[in-house]
Amino acid sequence: MKLTLLVQLSWRNLWRHRRRTVILLTTICVAVGSVLVLNALLRGMQMSMVETAIDNLNGHFKVLAPGYLDDPGITKSFELEPSGIPGLSAEGIRGWAPRVRVPAVIRSERETRGVQFVGIVPGSEDISFLGDVDVDGEYLSGPDDRRILLGHALAEQLETGVGRRVVLITQGADGGNRESGYRVAGVYDAVGTGIEKAFVFTGLATVQDLLSVDAVTEVSVRLTEEARGPSVLGDLTNTFDGLDVRTWQDLEPQAAMMHEMADATVSIWFLIVMGALIFGLVNTLVTAVMERIRELGMLRAIGMRRGAVIAQVVIESMITMVIGISTGVVLGLLGFAWLAEGIDLSAFAEGLELTGLRPELVPQLWAQDVFLVVVLSLVLGFLASIYPAHRAVRVQPLDAMRR
Amino acid sequence: MSDLVVECRRVTRVYGDDGVAVRALQGVDFRVAKGEWAALAGPSGSGKSTLLHLVGGLDRPTDGTVVVDGEQLNDLSESQLSDLRLRKVGFVFQAYNLVPVLSAVENVEFIMQLQGVEPAQRRERALSVLDQLGLSDIGERRPGELSGGQQQRVAVARAIVTEPVLLLADEPSANLDSATTLELLALLRAINEERGVTIVTATHDPIVMGHASRRVLLRDGRIESDEVMSSPAWHA
Repeated sequence: MKLTLLVQLSWRNLWRHRRRTVILLTTICVAVGSVLVLNALLRGMQMSMVETAIDNLNGHFKVLAPGYLDDPGITKSFELEPSGIPGLSAEGIRGWAPRVRVPAVIRSERETRGVQFVGIVPGSEDISFLGDVDVDGEYLSGPDDRRILLGHALAEQLETGVGRRVVLITQGADGGNRESGYRVAGVYDAVGTGIEKAFVFTGLATVQDLLSVDAVTEVSVRLTEEARGPSVLGDLTNTFDGLDVRTWQDLEPQAAMMHEMADATVSIWFLIVMGALIFGLVNTLVTAVMERIRELGMLRAIGMRRGAVIAQVVIESMITMVIGISTGVVLGLLGFAWLAEGIDLSAFAEGLELTGLRPELVPQLWAQDVFLVVVLSLVLGFLASIYPAHRAVRVQPLDAMRR
Repeated sequence: MSDLVVECRRVTRVYGDDGVAVRALQGVDFRVAKGEWAALAGPSGSGKSTLLHLVGGLDRPTDGTVVVDGEQLNDLSESQLSDLRLRKVGFVFQAYNLVPVLSAVENVEFIMQLQGVEPAQRRERALSVLDQLGLSDIGERRPGELSGGQQQRVAVARAIVTEPVLLLADEPSANLDSATTLELLALLRAINEERGVTIVTATHDPIVMGHASRRVLLRDGRIESDEVMSSPAWHA
């Protein structure tokens, strides 16, 4: 039997009850559209959390001396080859940054605070939030710069500012205190006040001089694409034999967990919405079939085979889903376009900081998510048609025509 | 007996289980020769519709055999029965049973679509049959826009367009007034006489019985009388 005939019949049957069909199509459209928009928002949150976790001096990977995470300090350091990281191919790597990070106490003429004192190579820090951070004053000029960068929140706590001097005290490799005075080159604005209060930056060589070492405590590596992750991890593990190579997920387990939860949330939301929708679709199809029992019986009587009756119901369901999904995707894209500039969440900035979210939520619509929603919706539409089709074909022609 | 289109031998049809079994037909022998128009008559529950359905392959006998155009229906699978109905039997139902979402011409074409006839050919044949039945001006209308008589004529057009060997009509005049019934019967007569299509009708209607060439009276699941009408109504 020709497919075109079945499609023609199914199409016309679909419009027998225009209002019912329009309501069903609207429901599918809104469901698919809302799933896509929510999906884009969740992806935006997910990526915001990941970006924040990676930006916050972690990179995708970080090389550390064994035991540094349990007892951070200059005693847990390692030396780098002057040439950089041999054996690490440039492909897929956006950059890497060596640092010395030690716990320290910063003291202004008014206040004292505990901080992380970090020696950086400013030119390499385009892989972290420092790459595009807003600085009031000047950014560090190089690894030999002896000035420091303070976070805005810390500067407020210390009641200090650009051009003023502060003292930093930390512990050297020998266990003795090291203390030095530094002029504030600039005050930076980070995404969260936690970062601003925690990190004080200066040139890498400056910290090494203070601590009398040539070593670093960490090397962060940032990828251009996630897909290169496993091979770069392998290279790093080989190159830094005996050192600890950690992923951002190891270093930020909370962000990693929320990243995975976002995936699950997308799936759960999709299943809840589409699950409810499928019940509606099954109900509508069963109603449509029961209304046409006589007609289906007649079609069987004049020679339409069982398979064709089943195909007719399935095609009707699939046409409904295709129209509903198509308009739903358009609705989702319009919703996405409307929100594409981002949603200002700065009113909730304090709470967001705890979750690693940035104050502006920029939705991300991934082609793979759209594809998945479309394919799964079609599969669900097909599954939803099985029961009504079964009902349609179960009725014998004679029984149907006697009704 | 090669000119037999229908041959029922000792056909019994029992509905229900042993507790409330209804014997709709009891060992009926019934034959229809090519070109005959047999009217199955009898009161309600006499078994005429049951016999018609068995002959049309819509039902299976509990016992006995049914042969249509040389094919023993008892041996056919469900899909083979569908094929037989599609290719050899035309049905006209009491309630017309046209597909409401298709126009008159599409309803006539529909059965040819099921048969896989090429689009151009089926459209030509459908229009030709509608024209022959005086329905050419209502071809594009849907069943809901047609009178009962027009719908039944379209149903007849659908039944004969594939040139079946057997046309079965179950109470074809039940929903029609007398004038329309006479028009329909004239149409069936022409199909029977001019095209040589064998017709079996189940009817309560004396007007229909009067137009058939043979009247088979059933009562309580058995054939009570079987008479060839020497002068059907239209010859009178």
